[in-house]
Amino acid sequence: MRNFNTKHIIKVAIFNLLIINIYCTKEIHVQYQVNSAYIYESKAQKFKSKNEAEYISILYTCLYQKAIDPMELFQAQSVLYSIGDQNVAKEMLLSGYFNNPKIIIPSNAEMRKDIPAFITETYKRFYLRYPSEAEKVYFTNYIKNNPEVTVELIYTSFSTSDEYSFY
Amino acid sequence: MRRKEFIKRSTLTVGAGIVAPYILPSGRLFAKSGIEKAEHVVMVMFAGGVRQQESILGRYLEDSQGVSGVAGNIMPNLFNGNAPTKKIVYGQDIPGQTRGSDPIPRLLSDALANKGMTFNEVRAQSAGHYVGLNTLLTGSIGAAQGLKTRPSSPTIFEYLRKHRGFKATDCWFVGNGIGNSTPLLNASTNENYGLNFGANMFIPPVTFGGYGQNTLSNSKAYSNNELKPMYEMKNFLNNSFALENSRQTTIKNTDDERTRIKEFMRATYTKQSLGQIAMPPAAGSTDAFNVAYSAEILKEFKPKMLAVNISEVDGCHSNFTGYLRSLHRADHITAWLYDYIQTNIPEMKDNTVFIVAPECGRNLNPNPILDENDWMAFDHSDANSLRVWSLMVGKNVPKVSVGSEGNPIGRLTDLVPTIADIFGVYDDVMNSGYIDPMAMSQFLRV
Repeated sequence: MRNFNTKHIIKVAIFNLLIINIYCTKEIHVQYQVNSAYIYESKAQKFKSKNEAEYISILYTCLYQKAIDPMELFQAQSVLYSIGDQNVAKEMLLSGYFNNPKIIIPSNAEMRKDIPAFITETYKRFYLRYPSEAEKVYFTNYIKNNPEVTVELIYTSFSTSDEYSFY
Repeated sequence: MRRKEFIKRSTLTVGAGIVAPYILPSGRLFAKSGIEKAEHVVMVMFAGGVRQQESILGRYLEDSQGVSGVAGNIMPNLFNGNAPTKKIVYGQDIPGQTRGSDPIPRLLSDALANKGMTFNEVRAQSAGHYVGLNTLLTGSIGAAQGLKTRPSSPTIFEYLRKHRGFKATDCWFVGNGIGNSTPLLNASTNENYGLNFGANMFIPPVTFGGYGQNTLSNSKAYSNNELKPMYEMKNFLNNSFALENSRQTTIKNTDDERTRIKEFMRATYTKQSLGQIAMPPAAGSTDAFNVAYSAEILKEFKPKMLAVNISEVDGCHSNFTGYLRSLHRADHITAWLYDYIQTNIPEMKDNTVFIVAPECGRNLNPNPILDENDWMAFDHSDANSLRVWSLMVGKNVPKVSVGSEGNPIGRLTDLVPTIADIFGVYDDVMNSGYIDPMAMSQFLRV
């Protein structure tokens, strides 16, 4: 049987204390948070032009709230490529989309109920940015003063504009 | 004194108001020029690589397959000469007979070669398709022209829009497919010209083919009045974005022109579904489809300048019999387009210059690929590929035959200066600095 003396017991105790001190430290709770940031684009940052496939798939998703079928995308892309004036091609494509009852867009009554909110939403929807005050004033006045203006026409003007062709 | 000053300024203002609308995009008041020879030009880019031997020289199988006694002209609408009498395979099929044994009946009473100016032996500047097409449209040799990029030198459309003041709908390029670089030929990347002066374009096999029908034929018809607010809002948005010229991605029409093009497209889809598109009698090829829709464009817009590209003869890389058939059909559809202008478009009849030229030739010696008749195929890369011809008929075009097999005269780059000459902007185009220095108007070569 082994004979433990007091000195040995003290050594072992100090050693154990050192180990406990080294390896057992108080847990520090660190909490990371995200600072508020303005994530919307500005038009000055848009310098890359969308290719036909990007344009069509983004537009389709924007109007139907679902992804375009690959074959439909391929056909539309080829057709856009086959027309010299891209504005003509895009306006034709869009008017076809508006002829489809599955399109998800606000009604004209909803637009006229709260025009400033509609304008802001439209800028966010198509341009991924907020309208400037000047833009808001222009569209508010234009919609108010022109009863024949519809959501369809406004969406067509946005989605065939130069800014929508860039990102 | 003040009254005198007022009258002077008012007179100047009114005068400027009258003159301003006539300032051309080039900055000049009126097109400097000579006399306009005709109001319209239609150019058939008879592309795909055409050997002199089977086309203008009328040798059929003699200079290709080592067969003797089978010479003959298989392009009776364009050139003179009797048809071959043996081994006829280039015509239409008749059940129970040898394939292609029935030649397509000649459409024109007289060959185009007898009606105008024929350059029998012209030097092409490239043995390749794309640079060849570039040569036809830009008048430059295209030595540094890359594939899958727009022409680096201005096209004839840009010259005419800038120096002659033509609208976008006055200039059309009709391509035969969206492959390769064809849909890029309606405008160049040149910083002094470019997309702002480019031509309108359709690729009919796509725009009006199955894909076009599926994608665009369902589009809504809006009236001009309905579209007015849309264009106003869009113009506001575009002005706000202020896209610089160097970042333009498309040619541009005016709002009215755009509406007209869309109406044309909708009407064409309707005509198509009713089977009312006029077609060459022996249709059935992509080239025929292309030419038929070119005729629709001509009828609607009466453009000043239209260039249409056909290319099915390029099948010669692997099928010589197919090449002969395509050549015979290309002759047929080219003649049909010429005849269509004469008989269906009174505004262009007797007021149009009609030009036909291949973009390059084909090799002297065959490759080893045999077709159904055990005939060898031909590629395009040697000196024989630089031998081509050109034809021009119409208003103010003299009847003359220039050059011969042993006496080549002219270059393919001559065609752009020739068209510039027809529209009276020869000096502007020649002094632009982008034209082949050895090129000149064919009218001056005669």
